[in-house]
Amino acid sequence: MTTPVIASAHELVKVYGAGATAVRALDGVDVDLVRGELTAIMGPSGSGKSTLMHCLAGLDRPTSGTVVVDGQTVSSMSERKLTALRRTRIGFVFQAYNLVPTLTALENITLPLDIARREVDQAHLDLVVETLGLTDRLGHKPSELSGGQQQRVACARALVARPAVVFADEPTGNLDSTSAAEVLGFLRSSVDDLGQSVVMVTHDPTSASYAHRVLFLADGRLVGELRDPTAEGVLAALTGLTARPTGAP
Amino acid sequence: MVRVALRGVRAHLVRFCLSVLAVALGVAFVAGTFALRTMLSSTFTDIVATTTLGDAYVRGSEAAGGTGGPDRISPEVRNPVPLTLVGDLEAVDGVAAVLPDVQGPLVLVGADGTAVQSTQAPSFAFAYDSRDPAVDVVDGRAPQAADEIAVESATLSASGLAVGDATSVVVGGEVRPVTVVGEIGLGAALAGATVVFLDPATAEASFAPDGTVATIAVLADDGLSEQQLVDRLAPALASSGVPAEAVTGDEVREQSTANILTVLGFITTFLLVFAGISLFVGGFIIANTFSMWVRQRTRELALLRAVGASPLQVFTSIVLQAAIVGVVGAILGVAGGLGLVVVLRGVLGTFGMDLTGRVPVDGFTLVVSVLVGTLVSVLAAALPARRAALVPPVEALRDEVLLPERSLTRRAAVGIALVVLGVAAVVVALLDPTADRAGAVLGIGAGAVVLGVLAASPVLARGFLRVVSMPFAAWRPVGPLARGNVTRNPRRTANTAGALMVGMALVGAAAVIAATTQASTSAIVTQEATTDYILRGAAQGTVPEQAITDVRALPDVKAADTFATASVLVDDAPFAVTGIDPTAVGRSIRTEVVEGDFPGALAAGEVAVQRTTMDDEDWSLGEELRFVGSSGVETLTIGAVIDSPAFGVPFVVSQDVLDPLFPPDEQRVTTVFVTAADGADVEALRGELTAAVRPYVVVSVMDSEEFVSDLAEQVDRVLVILYALLGLSVVIAVLGIVNTLALSVIERTREIGLLRAVGLGRLQLGTTITLESVLTAVFGTTVGLVLGVALAATLPTVFADVGLRTLAVPWGSLALMLALAVVVGVVAALWPAVRAARLPVLDAVSTE
Repeated sequence: MTTPVIASAHELVKVYGAGATAVRALDGVDVDLVRGELTAIMGPSGSGKSTLMHCLAGLDRPTSGTVVVDGQTVSSMSERKLTALRRTRIGFVFQAYNLVPTLTALENITLPLDIARREVDQAHLDLVVETLGLTDRLGHKPSELSGGQQQRVACARALVARPAVVFADEPTGNLDSTSAAEVLGFLRSSVDDLGQSVVMVTHDPTSASYAHRVLFLADGRLVGELRDPTAEGVLAALTGLTARPTGAP
Repeated sequence: MVRVALRGVRAHLVRFCLSVLAVALGVAFVAGTFALRTMLSSTFTDIVATTTLGDAYVRGSEAAGGTGGPDRISPEVRNPVPLTLVGDLEAVDGVAAVLPDVQGPLVLVGADGTAVQSTQAPSFAFAYDSRDPAVDVVDGRAPQAADEIAVESATLSASGLAVGDATSVVVGGEVRPVTVVGEIGLGAALAGATVVFLDPATAEASFAPDGTVATIAVLADDGLSEQQLVDRLAPALASSGVPAEAVTGDEVREQSTANILTVLGFITTFLLVFAGISLFVGGFIIANTFSMWVRQRTRELALLRAVGASPLQVFTSIVLQAAIVGVVGAILGVAGGLGLVVVLRGVLGTFGMDLTGRVPVDGFTLVVSVLVGTLVSVLAAALPARRAALVPPVEALRDEVLLPERSLTRRAAVGIALVVLGVAAVVVALLDPTADRAGAVLGIGAGAVVLGVLAASPVLARGFLRVVSMPFAAWRPVGPLARGNVTRNPRRTANTAGALMVGMALVGAAAVIAATTQASTSAIVTQEATTDYILRGAAQGTVPEQAITDVRALPDVKAADTFATASVLVDDAPFAVTGIDPTAVGRSIRTEVVEGDFPGALAAGEVAVQRTTMDDEDWSLGEELRFVGSSGVETLTIGAVIDSPAFGVPFVVSQDVLDPLFPPDEQRVTTVFVTAADGADVEALRGELTAAVRPYVVVSVMDSEEFVSDLAEQVDRVLVILYALLGLSVVIAVLGIVNTLALSVIERTREIGLLRAVGLGRLQLGTTITLESVLTAVFGTTVGLVLGVALAATLPTVFADVGLRTLAVPWGSLALMLALAVVVGVVAALWPAVRAARLPVLDAVSTE
């Protein structure tokens, strides 16, 4: 629990399909993600960034290699253990369709706790809800919330169970810039103020600039990283990445 | 767009298959019901066609009283014709053979020593004549002496006897030891009737002791048409001086068939009503499936619009796919429906009711079923298709596509209006139950109430499910999830439950009717019968006269009261009349007298009439009626008006009045009430009675409780078929739920993925879907049962006249049904739940 690494991948390979049509989405990725940091994973379309996140989060099984999350080897877990891991150690924020439409905002937030039949830590819940400015929206159904509010509810849900790590897949992909800034600001402050670890996949340099560290992926390989990035720095690195011949280290 | 439509079918094969299944289920129900109806009527018309082979028939030309109905195919009663005519007819040029129709009731004792009988089917004997083309000796030989019989093939196998076995028959109350010498094939399934052949002399002595028969069949020489034969017979009949006429075989067959169909009218009407309901239920499942189907594909359709398809093209493509689904489903459904009927025939066969072996495929069934499947599919798809076609193309770009849900207000308003009208009609029927059309008004009212409830059921579902799911709210996370899912789209939940609701309404009504019938029967017996023991003839047979004499001779018997029934013509209309000993009133039966002095009137040679008949015929006390029997005519005064379901016939007279009207062999005594002598040991009397009637084989001794349960058993046996059909509707409703659930699992793929991603276990997911299914099933069952029971509860008021007087609600059975609903819900959820649990989490969360 005291290691600085919250999640790591070693020699991670993911192949989709077989034979001539096989696609190597991940081609030997080695990465350590640091506890208490907001890490952004970037790369052009098809670079394998979403696949990497799915494998790290135990949503997808790698073809070979190992994934360790919070000291547990995810890549060799049974489906039952994966389910337990997801409900206790991992939080998710997806690009869209984050909320169960039949449940209220509050019920959505406490859903992982309900599933795990755990007590709700009321003080923590209040803190999260207040930080996200959702206090007066708790009784609403998702269809009565704006896109930004829906993503904030999703963030609250990911954080309320105090997971070891939160995985966010293009969390601001569907949001206007104001809402996006709110959500990203919150993810960052959850790291700075609450000590949460967050991993975020994005293709937007501005979003990535909120991170402590940005990893760049291209053609299934890790091709670079930036610490304490700015939007301009990320953009420059990304431009260099796409200009570079494919497959280069 | 045709290509898009076809690709659409191919790309969503599972959805396509489920939609086809829905159509097939609905159509199977319709086709099965129609085919069953066809099979029943063709079984009976087959009997006529294969047994009525005469080219011409000679029959009486004047109306007359007689035993009529039960023993003869024609309910029309005519004067009998003498056997002496046979000689005259044989002398006519062109006549090949003359076959007098000598037949009558007979009870065959089977291998196990009891009477051979099956539910409601008659048991009778014919004279064997080798010239009769309908009969064919398939084993052994024809009967040639009084102690020989031949038995029809199906009867033989039901009896357990074999050719060469010795057994007994009971004819005219007399037990005769006989040997089975042959097996006879009739070439038609007899629907359970027991048929025995006697040699002509014995048959004539037993069934035509006065030398008369109802009809004489005449066979023509080759080359002579039926009409020519009739023309040649007419002069011979005219010169004989007997009031008789000759008619063609075709005419008789036509009349017999028509008569049978009239007798079967109740069943036919029932099955038609059932087919209508099945159509409705099937349509429900189909419409439900299509509205979900269109909703799921809204995004794809919006994309088509975005790339330039006109609303009409989108609409056409959906309707075209619906038509493909409809035709394929309908064809499968017809096959399934016929399969169901074959199974049902097997089931009925084990109850002893043989039906025709022909696979009942007729053009009408095929056309109606396929048309229904296709039309309902297209119509069901048309409404959602119209909505989908008008979706703005921009919707394709949005993530969550929500079709604008119309508000439920309109459905609720229509539903409430229908329920109010229906209840009004029911109340009208209840307030004036004796009105001519009370039954019809009640039926229409009941139909309107059911339709209204179905229309308003989404609103009902929302309220009901919110309340019923309350206890599960604390069962996190399963409870709130399941509750949210069933109340999210009340229209869908209501439609899913709709089929079950209709099925359960029928089950509830049937359960109440059955319980009420039995309670009424038992009330009649306990209120009206004050007798110690009851003697009953088996196989609807009579109690032999000698047995009655023997019983009366027992020292412990105070009286054995008989109820002799015959069919009489009153004002030229046939009625049933019962003759009793006037002293039996108050001794073995107790009757409610409306007007006059019942025993006094009987003793004075007057007639007592049931109140309902008095009302129907508009007679009044003291009026004189002319009774025409087969051996006499009498004018009787109405001396009393009674209200007695126990008698069950319109007229009651003294035995002394009945005797001159009918010879003893035309009076049927099926029940004898035995009263113990004062101070006699009633328990011991039972043994004495049993010993006294044992030689007569066919008589059973019962106390009033056994009598009630015997009557109840007869009711039950009739209800078995009803239950089988209702079972079918429930099975189809269950499959409908499976279908809707499976489709809704597909629809919710992403939501399920999300739930799994945040840690919902497979078992929890499966439990959620099962709970949804159970809630839906319980909703459908509860509303259906409430409807069925409430509507059926009105029957005793409206139909008191036909014997439904005591309302009984079988709470136990109803509770069982509700428990069954839970089972139904669990069973229906099995496949969808497994399917949902197996969805890979990643497939579910990643965009399509």
